[in-house]
Amino acid sequence: MSPHPDSAVVDQHGSALSSDADDAAAMLVGAVKRYGAGESAVAALDDVTIAFPAGKFTAVMGPSGSGKSTMMHCAAGLDRLTSGRAFVGSTDLSTLDDRELTLLRRERIGFVFQTFNLVQTLTAEENICLPLTLSGRRPSGDVLDQVVSLLRLGDRLRHRPSELSGGQQQRVAVARALVARPQVVFADEPTGNLDTRTGQEILGFLRSAVDEDHQSIVMVTHDPNAAAWADRVVFVVDGHVHDVMDRPSADAVLDVVKGLGR
Amino acid sequence: MSQMVRSAARSVFASRGRFLLTGAAVALSVAFLAATLVLTDSMRGRAAADIAEALAGTDAVVQGVELGEPGGGPGDPARSVQRSLGPDITERVVAVDGVAGAAPQWVGFAKLVVDGSSVGTGTASDVGRNWVDDPALNPFRLASGQPPTEVGEIVIDRSLADNAGVAAGDVVRVLTATGMHDATVTGIATFASANAAPLQRTVLLPDAAVSAWLDTEAPTEVLVDVAEGADRTEVLARLSALSDAEVVDGPDHIRTMQDAATSPLQFLNVFLLAFAVVAILIGVTIIFNTFTLTVARRRRESGLLRAIGAERRHVLGGVVIEAAFVGTIATLVGLVCGVAGVDALRWVVGLTGISLLTGPPIVSPTSIAIAAAVGIGATILSAWIPARRAAATPPIEALRESAAEPRAVSRARTASGLVLAAAAIAGGAMAVVNSNPVWLTLAVAIVPALVLCGPAIVTATARWSSPAARRTAGVSGSIAAGNLAASPRRSASTALALMLGTAMVTMFAIFASSLTSGVGTDVREGLEADLVVTSATPDVSTIDPALADRIAALPDVEAVTALSSAEGIVAGKAEAIGGIDPTALPTMFDLDPIAGDLADLSSGGVAVVGDDPARLGGTLEIEFERSTVEAPIVAVVSRSIGGFEAPLYFVDAATLDASVGRQLDAQVFVDLADGAAADAEEDVSALVRDTPGSFLATQEEHVASRGSEIAAFGNFIDGMLVLASLIALLGVANTTALAINERSGELGLLRAVGATRRALRRIVRLEAALLSFAAASIGIAVATGFGWAMIDVTGGTEIPSVVVPWLRLAVTLVIAVAAGVVAAAWPAFRVSRMPVLDLVSGDR
Ligand SMILES: Nc1ncnc2c1ncn2[C@@H]1O[C@H](COP(=O)(O)OP(=O)(O)O)[C@@H](O)[C@H]1O
Ligand SMILES: [Mg+2]
Repeated sequence: MSPHPDSAVVDQHGSALSSDADDAAAMLVGAVKRYGAGESAVAALDDVTIAFPAGKFTAVMGPSGSGKSTMMHCAAGLDRLTSGRAFVGSTDLSTLDDRELTLLRRERIGFVFQTFNLVQTLTAEENICLPLTLSGRRPSGDVLDQVVSLLRLGDRLRHRPSELSGGQQQRVAVARALVARPQVVFADEPTGNLDTRTGQEILGFLRSAVDEDHQSIVMVTHDPNAAAWADRVVFVVDGHVHDVMDRPSADAVLDVVKGLGR
Repeated sequence: MSQMVRSAARSVFASRGRFLLTGAAVALSVAFLAATLVLTDSMRGRAAADIAEALAGTDAVVQGVELGEPGGGPGDPARSVQRSLGPDITERVVAVDGVAGAAPQWVGFAKLVVDGSSVGTGTASDVGRNWVDDPALNPFRLASGQPPTEVGEIVIDRSLADNAGVAAGDVVRVLTATGMHDATVTGIATFASANAAPLQRTVLLPDAAVSAWLDTEAPTEVLVDVAEGADRTEVLARLSALSDAEVVDGPDHIRTMQDAATSPLQFLNVFLLAFAVVAILIGVTIIFNTFTLTVARRRRESGLLRAIGAERRHVLGGVVIEAAFVGTIATLVGLVCGVAGVDALRWVVGLTGISLLTGPPIVSPTSIAIAAAVGIGATILSAWIPARRAAATPPIEALRESAAEPRAVSRARTASGLVLAAAAIAGGAMAVVNSNPVWLTLAVAIVPALVLCGPAIVTATARWSSPAARRTAGVSGSIAAGNLAASPRRSASTALALMLGTAMVTMFAIFASSLTSGVGTDVREGLEADLVVTSATPDVSTIDPALADRIAALPDVEAVTALSSAEGIVAGKAEAIGGIDPTALPTMFDLDPIAGDLADLSSGGVAVVGDDPARLGGTLEIEFERSTVEAPIVAVVSRSIGGFEAPLYFVDAATLDASVGRQLDAQVFVDLADGAAADAEEDVSALVRDTPGSFLATQEEHVASRGSEIAAFGNFIDGMLVLASLIALLGVANTTALAINERSGELGLLRAVGATRRALRRIVRLEAALLSFAAASIGIAVATGFGWAMIDVTGGTEIPSVVVPWLRLAVTLVIAVAAGVVAAAWPAFRVSRMPVLDLVSGDR
């Protein structure tokens, strides 16, 4: 199978962007991220322009070292671009200072790492509510209940991370990312360390958050089966957006991935 | 091997932040130890060298028959009480075959008075002695001017001259046992090459003045010069055949004098060394923590290397070399700082009022060797223990294990700690109940108990403080409390160092306050006189005996009575004996007789201070300088007149004068007439002002001032508290930095989900505050308990009750916590500035 030729391919000059820009949850425009200086400089992102649509589940794929994590970090305000701009909604992240960026992360972004997701000294419930308590808010009972029941964590709330399985820990991390009802959730290989069944479970939760609550989610994955849960797949190669596929199937994704590995 | 050294050096350099802190800890401990040793050496060494030089020409000394053990009063430290020599002793010594020269020495009290005020305060004593004309025997050398020849001429030591701003030719006055004398300074002298004799201010008199001024009939000692060519041992043997005298060989005499001059430093040395030990303990803790982490980090890597066939020593030998590298450099820095910092330490010691070291410090190779060995040895040992433990782990386990230490606290460890703690508490209780200090040795078990229970204490602290921390500081609070328990062993070792520091300060504080109060209690309860005249130097009699009569002649004064004091030997021990007027004193100071009648003192009886009325009717033998008094005990009183050297026995003033010769008064009590004119007190005050060596205090002032000597000691403790907190600061900074390193992923996560930099700093500071608070409060609590038991059991009559200085302890706690927070400030600041992703990836 070939990539959809009529999908909302984003070109390098942003002309096709306008159709998506209005309802984008997050967006990178001419994004460049360079590590190091001089001879040894590496461009992890090389002039990337892409919009992540609101209320949709987007998967990001690409070979190791292609710049997927860098893309997540810069879009989520965890790192700054060397040049270009990153937006969350209509907010230009490059105009924010560290404190404003922190508040933005707290209130408008959810993030799930592959590991290191939980504070060991807090219970599952405290971990879930962390973004809210940090801003001095109490989680509204409804939202908490909803998230907890969605992720089926009810009987685990009083446990500490060390007393939870890997899958349960990752569910807590997803719950934390969802609980503040952020504008967009970024997840960097959230199922990378889990067995297939547990991974499928997590993907199911993410899917239902999108379907039921119109949550916007961007997820990095290596696994074509995981990517098939998404509404759209973005392929990244060498710091460029190589291709975009809407309504992917596992087979179609696998074909593209094979092509990339060439 | 050399490659290993190079790679170790590279590794140290690569993580220089961590090693800088470790190095600083080693350097500071070594510096403190080195400074202590050098200062101790110098104070001793200077005094000893000066004495040896001054007495070099004296081959032997003839002195009175020794009566008993040294008394250790501050006036004449550690010199024994001796029976007076006969007036003809000098002639008898000269007549001995082989004696080339003999110089009698008359020694007594003499205080220089310039412009109406006495010169010099503090620990040194005021000594008057005759100028020896024979230069071989004279310990003093004339620096300028002429020796004294006529009555009324004196020579003074150079430091006295410098302090008073007096030069040869100036007219001054001298207060002695026989009152105030006018004098002209004819010269300035040095003690050998030193400005003054150790711990003494000396006024040198001509022989003609000694009997009138010092009120002594016979010399205190005779310095002997053995003729050249004569057999010294034979001469000594002939001298020892003299009746009513003892002969001391020159070198022995020098040693005795050296011991006497340096003994007041002994207690100071003990304190200083105790603090040095704590400093080193804190240093070792820091080093140990750092290397444990370094090793843990490398454990996985080493597991891999071991799995593919590397030997143990390849893997972790590098760590030990690294330690040797850091230890050596830090020790060198510490030694330099320590020697340079002797002056700073001298200043702190000076807060006690003891300022002895006049010349440059003496740096002995032994001190340097000890400090260096401790520094380097402690560092290597601190690295070797975790390295050995790691090397013993099977490779696969090392590969699997995470770098962090296990959170679980060993139950067996806690249990044995609790057993020890129970034993310690039981020991303390037994000691108090049975008044037997032997049980206190069991109470010392509290220290290992704390070591063993440390991790459990830290975990418990985290659990208990968590709700409170959460309430006051929100989620930051519970994270901070939780972090404390994340590596309980490391937190515990930091806490232990802090605990020991605060415990020590607490013990001293309790001791000082109990002593102050003990010294003050008798005065508070017994004093009834309106006014009290006291000596200028505490516990040394310096009041002109004529003053009492002059005050008595004032119109509005109803009664006056003086108290004199002298040393006598009771049951082989030197004790202060008070001389009182048994009829006048009780109206002004209630000694609270519980048996017998004080009035019977006038018929030659003695009163003893104590709580056992059954002693009444017994007899007491007191050996004085001039005679031995065997007196019936006619009264038992429950109080003395207060002060450090308060007499434990009282005799009639006339009896005392007859036994020791005339004495200056120690205190004069004054009662004003009822309805006395308002300026009556002012009249007394005017008289006292004109009498150097005396101070006037009202009843309240006197009650308040007793024990104020200890206040100077309090300054010293405060100085030590500052030093201890400084070192503890390093400990907390180190633990905080290590903890941050280990948990950077978590801290990064917090930043990622929206914790501001401020929130992060707050968590780190809170953690340090909690740890310091727990450590300091436990340290204070344990030391209070132990100190209480110890003083209760061993305090005796001088410290009848334990007084806990709550305010000072509260301040200590606050300072300890503040120090912890300050120490955490820098690591907290640094971690808050780190990019979020660097934290998350653990890339530092
Ligand atoms: N902190 C960094 N310093 C230097 N180079 C980096 C850093 N992070 C990532 N890179 C480089 O940037 C490129 C993209 O990395 P990354 O975004 O992590 O890729 P992916 O997540 O797709 O595997 C890689 O070549 C990587 O080596
Ligand atoms: Mg990645």
